[in-house]
Amino acid sequence: MLDLLSVRDLLTSEERAVWDATRAFTTGELLPHAQGWWDAGGAPRDLMRRFGEQGLLGPTLPPEYGGAGLSAVAYGCAMYELERADSGLRSLASVQGSLVMGPIHRFGSEDLRRRWLPGLASGELVGCFGLTEEGGSDPAAMRTTARADGAHYVLTGSKVWITNSPLADVAVVWARVEGEDRVGGFVVPTDTPGFSAPKIDGKLSLRASVTGEIVLRECRVPAANRLEGARGLGAPLSCLTDARYGISWGALGSLETSYGTAREFALGRVTFGQPIASRQLVQEKLARMLAEHSKGLLLSWRLGVLKDEGRLSPPQVSLAKRDNVRAALNGARAAREVLGASGITTAYPVMRHLLNLETVDTYEGTHDIHTLVLGREATGINAFG
Amino acid sequence: MKILTLIRQVPDAEARVRVTNGAVDLEGATLVMDGMDEYGVEQALRLREGGADAEIVALAVGPRRNEDALRTALAMGADRAVHVETDAVLDPISLSKVVARIAQTEGIDLVLVGGQQADWDSQALGAATAERLGWPQLTWTNGLQVQDGALTGRHDVDEGNETFTATLPAVVTTQQGLNEPRYPTLPNIMKAKKKELRKDTLDQYGVTPLVRVVGAEIQARARMNRVIDGKDPQAAAAQLLELLRNEAKVIA
Ligand SMILES: Cc1cc2nc3c(=O)[nH]c(=O)nc-3n(C[C@H](O)[C@H](O)[C@H](O)COP(=O)(O)OP(=O)(O)OC[C@H]3O[C@@H](n4cnc5c(N)ncnc54)[C@H](O)[C@@H]3O)c2cc1C
Repeated sequence: MLDLLSVRDLLTSEERAVWDATRAFTTGELLPHAQGWWDAGGAPRDLMRRFGEQGLLGPTLPPEYGGAGLSAVAYGCAMYELERADSGLRSLASVQGSLVMGPIHRFGSEDLRRRWLPGLASGELVGCFGLTEEGGSDPAAMRTTARADGAHYVLTGSKVWITNSPLADVAVVWARVEGEDRVGGFVVPTDTPGFSAPKIDGKLSLRASVTGEIVLRECRVPAANRLEGARGLGAPLSCLTDARYGISWGALGSLETSYGTAREFALGRVTFGQPIASRQLVQEKLARMLAEHSKGLLLSWRLGVLKDEGRLSPPQVSLAKRDNVRAALNGARAAREVLGASGITTAYPVMRHLLNLETVDTYEGTHDIHTLVLGREATGINAFG
Repeated sequence: MKILTLIRQVPDAEARVRVTNGAVDLEGATLVMDGMDEYGVEQALRLREGGADAEIVALAVGPRRNEDALRTALAMGADRAVHVETDAVLDPISLSKVVARIAQTEGIDLVLVGGQQADWDSQALGAATAERLGWPQLTWTNGLQVQDGALTGRHDVDEGNETFTATLPAVVTTQQGLNEPRYPTLPNIMKAKKKELRKDTLDQYGVTPLVRVVGAEIQARARMNRVIDGKDPQAAAAQLLELLRNEAKVIA
């Protein structure tokens, strides 16, 4: 475990236990297969059940809905470990937990919670979260609509870049509600007539997780499937805040893998009669990775404590998502460089992590969008548009 | 029946330990349950899942941080834990006195201990405990069942593998391959918080260490830092053989 500043001592006994158990799970069950799943363009469906058995899906929810009542810090430790194997595998857990189970639990009726959460927690069901459209970073430009029609809503529109949509049993879809002029959330079983989810092919990033579109053609869902507590864009954005918090931890898991691989390689690789690890230029790269990892871990831990105290603010999360992911991306690039030609092959995990992190840097709010959030925090001036 | 499984805490395999002032310095190292003891806890759980009506008690003798390892055992499924908290480092013979006493006072039928004890490598703890209790000891087990109040199982001997039966109570030492320990699940980690973890002091057992560690060194093996180019596999294999034979001198 890479922990220069002994952040582990700041954790509770349960948080350490969650970290250790997930670390063992990742080492035994994920690391040996991560490259194979990447090559195959998706992890097997059964992995979601394995995640479910392990309690990795929605673990912060209360036990009556299949959760474990974990602290935010413990959840972060688990995400760190999953992403140590692969960002796509962490995505499976964070989409299902933060973006599907999260809004159903926070905004859904008791009926919706009882109907969907236990199956999602066990991994029997796969869920997806449909927010992004053509408008990309600007969710307020949403064009998908929901029209009330008696005891139903009729959904029309399309979503892109949706993790797991081609596999999903259920989608949480965000749409502009006609007559209300605000965004609402809907639980849409994917076998509803008019629902389709074509897969997006040709991905060079996050290949262990399947990505698709959602196309809604006059898709009728019972009015009871509306997430009644979600009124306006703030609702999906609050789910993203949760997921981003987890990503800030996950990125550091990936960075640990890049750093560990580069360090090991540099100690063994001899050129000009000396291990390259003895060269200042190589040490600078390792030192930078170690420094960024150490600072990032303190940052994410602090965020977790604030979250557990109910004091977390979106700009704080923007800071952590932005900086930790970029640190991991730069670290993966540096590690690739340290490995030389070997770094471009699948024999080492760094190129896979590097390619994955290109997605992580973009999704859940791009690096630059989070910069603008922080800029607004600094100046009070909105520079988005 | 009641099963006692002994838990030791050791640095994880990745940990880089240092020596400070003649003692191994665990500061900053991640400490985990000894793998051998994971086999013990897992086997106790399997005996119960296989139909034995068993209560499983996890025991640790050591510093406060051992609590983490006990919590892991509880999260795997042990029913309760006893922690004899002490900063003293106990040699296996002294430790066996504590284990035997607890086995007696708790009315234990089966004691499971690690075969090797990852941080002492003495292999004496199981034997010493069995000796004190006058119970049979079965070592290096790689299969274990309870049937009609008796143990049956397999264990490794020099010539191969033997099948045995033994009466209870008994002491069994574990080894790699006995089972595949489960990962504690996140819900079970949280549930383990509510399970009983009793604290005892070493004084209660009247035990003082008989052996004192006065110095420690870490074996450092320099790397040869030689990378063999694998483009031509046959040439690479030949080169490896030649290095192992003539330079490392590990094969004839
Ligand atoms: C593999 C993958 C999985 C995903 N999974 C999901 C999912 O499950 N659910 C979901 O809803 N979405 C998902 N997304 C979508 C993701 O959140 C979006 O890609 C992201 O929000 C950015 O949108 P965009 O790609 O359209 O980029 P754009 O918004 O078009 O941005 C392009 C570039 O322009 C910059 N930019 C945009 N606006 C501004 C501005 N005002 N000022 C300065 N610069 C600006 C951006 O920073 C970026 O560099 C996923 C994406 C990927 C790649």
